[in-house]
Amino acid sequence: MMREKPLLAVEALATFYGRAQILHGISFTCDAGETLVLLGRNGAGKSTTMKSVIGLVRPASGAIRFAGESIFAAEPHRISRLGLGYVPEERRIFAGLTVAENLDIGRQAPRPGLAPWTTARLYALFPNLAVARNRLAGQMSGGEQQMLAIARTLMGNPRLVLLDEPSEGLSPLIVEQMADAILALKAEGVGIVLAEQNLHFALRLADRAVVIEKGLAVWSGSITALAADEATRQRFLAVGVEA
Amino acid sequence: MPGADQILVALLTGLADAAALFFVASGLTVIFGVTRVVNFAHGSLTMLGAYCGWSLISRLPPTPLGFTLGALATMLVLAVIGAMMEIGLLRRVYRAPELFQLLATFGVVLMAEDIVQALWGVEDLALRRPPWLRAFVLVGGARFPRFDLFVIVLFPLIFLFLWLLFTRTRWGRLVRAATEDRDMVAALGVDQRLLFTSVFALGAALAGLGGVLALPDASANLGMDLTTVTDAFVVVVVGGLGSLSGAALASLLIGFLQAFGIMLVPKATLALVFVVMAVVLVLRPNGLLGRPPGRERASGETQAVVRPAPRALGLLGLGTLILALLAPFFLGPYALAIATEMLIAMLFAASLHFMMGPGGMASFGHAAWFGIGAYASAFAVRLLAAPMPLGLLVAPVAAAVMAALFGSFVVRLSGVYLAMLTLAFAEIAWAIAFQWVNVTGGDNGILGVWPASAFAGPRAFYWLTLLLTTLGTLWLRRILAAPFGYALRGVRDSRRRAEAIGVAVMPLQLTAFTLAGAAAGLAGGLYAYGKGSVFPTYISLGHSVDALLMVLLGGVGTISGPIVGALAYTGLYDVLLSVTGLWRLVLGAAIILLVLVFPEGIAGGVFRLWQRMRPA
Ligand SMILES: Nc1ncnc2c1ncn2[C@@H]1O[C@H](COP(=O)(O)OP(=O)(O)OP(=O)(O)O)[C@@H](O)[C@H]1O
Ligand SMILES: [Mg+2]
Repeated sequence: MMREKPLLAVEALATFYGRAQILHGISFTCDAGETLVLLGRNGAGKSTTMKSVIGLVRPASGAIRFAGESIFAAEPHRISRLGLGYVPEERRIFAGLTVAENLDIGRQAPRPGLAPWTTARLYALFPNLAVARNRLAGQMSGGEQQMLAIARTLMGNPRLVLLDEPSEGLSPLIVEQMADAILALKAEGVGIVLAEQNLHFALRLADRAVVIEKGLAVWSGSITALAADEATRQRFLAVGVEA
Repeated sequence: MPGADQILVALLTGLADAAALFFVASGLTVIFGVTRVVNFAHGSLTMLGAYCGWSLISRLPPTPLGFTLGALATMLVLAVIGAMMEIGLLRRVYRAPELFQLLATFGVVLMAEDIVQALWGVEDLALRRPPWLRAFVLVGGARFPRFDLFVIVLFPLIFLFLWLLFTRTRWGRLVRAATEDRDMVAALGVDQRLLFTSVFALGAALAGLGGVLALPDASANLGMDLTTVTDAFVVVVVGGLGSLSGAALASLLIGFLQAFGIMLVPKATLALVFVVMAVVLVLRPNGLLGRPPGRERASGETQAVVRPAPRALGLLGLGTLILALLAPFFLGPYALAIATEMLIAMLFAASLHFMMGPGGMASFGHAAWFGIGAYASAFAVRLLAAPMPLGLLVAPVAAAVMAALFGSFVVRLSGVYLAMLTLAFAEIAWAIAFQWVNVTGGDNGILGVWPASAFAGPRAFYWLTLLLTTLGTLWLRRILAAPFGYALRGVRDSRRRAEAIGVAVMPLQLTAFTLAGAAAGLAGGLYAYGKGSVFPTYISLGHSVDALLMVLLGGVGTISGPIVGALAYTGLYDVLLSVTGLWRLVLGAAIILLVLVFPEGIAGGVFRLWQRMRPA
């Protein structure tokens, strides 16, 4: 066995909300330093996939392995401590805490092989946060809250981050900043799983893509293959490259 | 007019009261904030603190140092008890519906009462008071206990300590973050269990402190658990659930209200406090400094729909009914009286279930409607010399009118706040019944509410009760199976969705609230005639709790639940009472066991077993 196992491997994941089956079989892998994008329409199941991986929603069947351990239906805090970070779509910053306090909540011990994140490094990556460090997180703009949500997760020195629609609802300028930050992360060797509806954003950042439709992974391949595959884009994403 | 000295003393008394309230309420609010558990046993922790403190301090030298050491040791003991309670019980029910958590803590309340009674006896225990505890300071011309000054000083100190703890330590930041969004805290790698256990330990220690500090001026007694928890609830709700500053502010408000209330309206202090609470909640539905409730339960599980009972259950019900009809032929008068009470309990429980299960509106004060019905019948008999049919008609009508009035400004509140306002209303009703002696007879009640001669015999009255309670219960069930019931459940599951498809949410909920009140009122009227008298205890918190226990025991999710629950609870109660002095201990343990094993109640659990046994 020559090839190292992927950092995160999800296989045939199925998840229910109550009696409604939302995920019908999602499989993908993501390696360190790699960026994988999960694409799909509204309600396709991207967020549910991420919540199932991080343990906030209990998956019903399938397999999830991270850094050599099974994390299927494990408790969120254990999964997080293995070095799997999660930035939710709704951001879920702690509105009544200051920016600096929010960052402190995410703090975990340094992880071997990764340059540890410090508040100083994060403030350099997101200068807006440095200025606002003593403000209440709830009083910041949407873009700043998104930055804070990412920075807070990075404080845990993750090996891999699940990023749920980081560009959603942000101005083009902030989206640019977000993209730069993600590229910087990637350069650090952090694995990134991105959920996106913004195909343009995804094509710029990702190495590989998985297309999800009604809870099922219906297409997977390299991002260049997706860029060339007009039919798949039309069928499952219904937006052009320039969207 | 009160003089300046009197005002100053009232001011100091108010501060001392506020301090005592704050110690208990701060623990309660912090626990609620993080764990989202309404800890009904918080007053029991205070009671335990008072008794432990009494035992420790009585054995230590009667000096300030001895007292301080005893108080600190008590806090330590209570912290351990709180941690054990969290690990052994609450941790297992965090994912359960709010009401089951409540039921579990009720179980603790019951057990604690018997445990304390077994260990310390039924006598009130007062501390021997050495001179330093008896000392007074002169305020102008008036005397004020020196110990109370010390308590007043402790108030800002404890507040400052907690404030520093929550803002300056990582633990405190984690607690505040978890109060906002505990799932997110977990996803960031924080083990919530440690956090929750330590928060519970802190809250219990503060409750214990409140108990110890009550010793010099009052005593350790068996009634303090429920009075304390009611007061603490008022403070926490007025201040805003989960808000420490809110709890401090509300403590001051309530403390002053009590101190000055006694001077100005000595007869209505209790009502005054609850009126203020009601006003605050109507103006600020989340309390003075509370924030709107955080994220809803992350799991998207909707509650099970109430299914029409399977045919077998219908047959079982019919069989039971026939048995019930024949019961007078083989039951003695005593057993028949108990059976009559059971039937009334059934209607009472069904009425609470009606608004709580399908309606999603929990009530801590359902006894109010029962009591209003009972008193309405009694007034009809005593003041109007009304015949029994009229007396029995007045009961549900009066309860319905009051429920409609009260409901029209509370049904829009959600969850715990609604429950607390119903409690407030019931406490006001109780206070009126208790304090307005000229009209209600106060504690002596109203006697001589006897049924018409045709129904005077136990058999005839039993049959009348069977008829009316069965009709009432079936009527409630019918409504639930009709479109009204479906709309009601729709509102419970998603208010916004119901609004979006054009359901008039407010009128719907108000109607449900009123109908529930009417049914409870009928139960109360029957009870008044059955006993021949009415007393304020009909409206007491204990009686509201009975109803809650019946509904939760039976199971909120099934229609037959309240019936099973009422029969099981009344039966269990009477059996336990006759075989053991420690009935509360046994009942409490049984409730806790039920919560852990059958989180969907007896009827729900049986239904699940039934489904499992049936061939697929
Ligand atoms: N808590 C919940 N309870 C019940 N159903 C839910 C819940 N959360 C999501 N769903 C349903 O699950 C499906 C998948 O939702 P999910 O949020 O995973 O989609 P998504 O791909 O992230 O969509 P979007 O692009 O809008 O974020 C949707 O049909 C949604 O309605
Ligand atoms: Mg999503």
